[in-house]
Amino acid sequence: MYWICSKSMATQELQINESLAHLKTESESLKTKLEEERAKLHDVELHQVAEKVEGLGQFVMKTRRTLKGHGNKVLCMDWCKDKRRIVSSSQDGKVIVWDAFTTNKEHAVTMPCTWVMACAYAPSGCAVACGGLDNKCSVYPLSLDKNENLAAKKKSVAMHTNYLSACSFTNSDMQILTSSGDGTCALWDVESGQLLQSFHGHAADVLCLDLAPSETGNTFVSGGCDKKANVWDMRSGQCIQSFETHESDINSVRYYPSGDAFASGSDDATCRLYDLRADREVAIYSKESIIFGVSSVDFSLSGRLLFGGYNDYTINVWDVLKGTRVSILFGHENRVSTLRVSPDGTAFCTGSWDHTLRVSSSFSFSLFSVISLSPEVLLTHCVFFFFFFLQIWA
Amino acid sequence: MDNGMSSKTHNANSILLARRTVLQLRTEASRERMKVSKASADLMNYCTEHAMADPLLVGFPTSDNPFKDKKPCTIL
Repeated sequence: MYWICSKSMATQELQINESLAHLKTESESLKTKLEEERAKLHDVELHQVAEKVEGLGQFVMKTRRTLKGHGNKVLCMDWCKDKRRIVSSSQDGKVIVWDAFTTNKEHAVTMPCTWVMACAYAPSGCAVACGGLDNKCSVYPLSLDKNENLAAKKKSVAMHTNYLSACSFTNSDMQILTSSGDGTCALWDVESGQLLQSFHGHAADVLCLDLAPSETGNTFVSGGCDKKANVWDMRSGQCIQSFETHESDINSVRYYPSGDAFASGSDDATCRLYDLRADREVAIYSKESIIFGVSSVDFSLSGRLLFGGYNDYTINVWDVLKGTRVSILFGHENRVSTLRVSPDGTAFCTGSWDHTLRVSSSFSFSLFSVISLSPEVLLTHCVFFFFFFLQIWA
Repeated sequence: MDNGMSSKTHNANSILLARRTVLQLRTEASRERMKVSKASADLMNYCTEHAMADPLLVGFPTSDNPFKDKKPCTIL
């Protein structure tokens, strides 16, 4: 009896092994086919197509506001849709809502955990979400009464089995998308705290996510420690596309304004642009002199500029089409950990391990770029310069 | 017998994972793709179309800049 059992088990194991080998072979041949298909369409490089576009010359960026008040490293920030309020979170467990124009603090919440790695402003501007080492994402409604204790109205929405790395409201205050060190992303209903959809596919911690611009439909992109950037369908939970060209953890992902591409920033000191319709990486933004990782990336409104916050305390600004660096901004005294362009594109805010946030914008353009412009545009720029100088000398 | 059972579960898991990978790869391989030249041209067109409306790119009159430096007032 025992001999028959063990013989049938051995046969079963043989069948299983053959089936596993068969699946592995098919998997390898499909991967090769994918590479071939992608390579066939790689007829030209983005910067070659972009040769016909005029160059940008050098930009000068200037810090306009410094927000001081956090007691420790600033880990994350987000803009409110009203283009002036900012929420930021820090290692000391504090979440602060600022008025960026006046630099006043409007609200402050103390979280029960340290390392609040994620924070987000609700589209209505009436609530903020945050989380970190507590493995949760909590929503705090913001009240107009400054004296009211915000912590009392706190709502626990998401529960992961490891730290919360990023969170974002969808188009309304009703749903939140989260990513976690447990390797998954999840979509939650804010009111009930119910899990609506979970996204499995990353082989390690998921560090960042970004929702596609509303016109492009229900997808989002995530990046992780497995060096992969995955694009997901929010309704089905399926991974639609996957990109693996980075050589280290992907710390930040951001959609191009049209929704047809996205940029990523990684510990391998490069930013990369992936086109979703060509299904491949189309540009790398790197320099031999840049050896520190990128913590955060964002596009300007037209998608022509890519801002990257680096671990060497600087912000590098790249020409997305030509692949060259057009500006470098100094000022932070420690790593830049988070970077977002304001909703109306007039400025960008950076948060750093030096405990501060800085709001910066363009200051002027170089003479070279002015000369290469057409007469009508040149005249407009001359008028701008005239008023600029008036301001400086007045 | 116990050893047999745990290796059976392990095999079942490996097969499930392999099957999922193959299905995922099949879906990805059958996708429609665009040439890089066309995709790049579209990205370029988007940039050029929206360039003038991008404050960080082209700047705008200082009077409109909400973050302009505050100048001290002089009382006349």
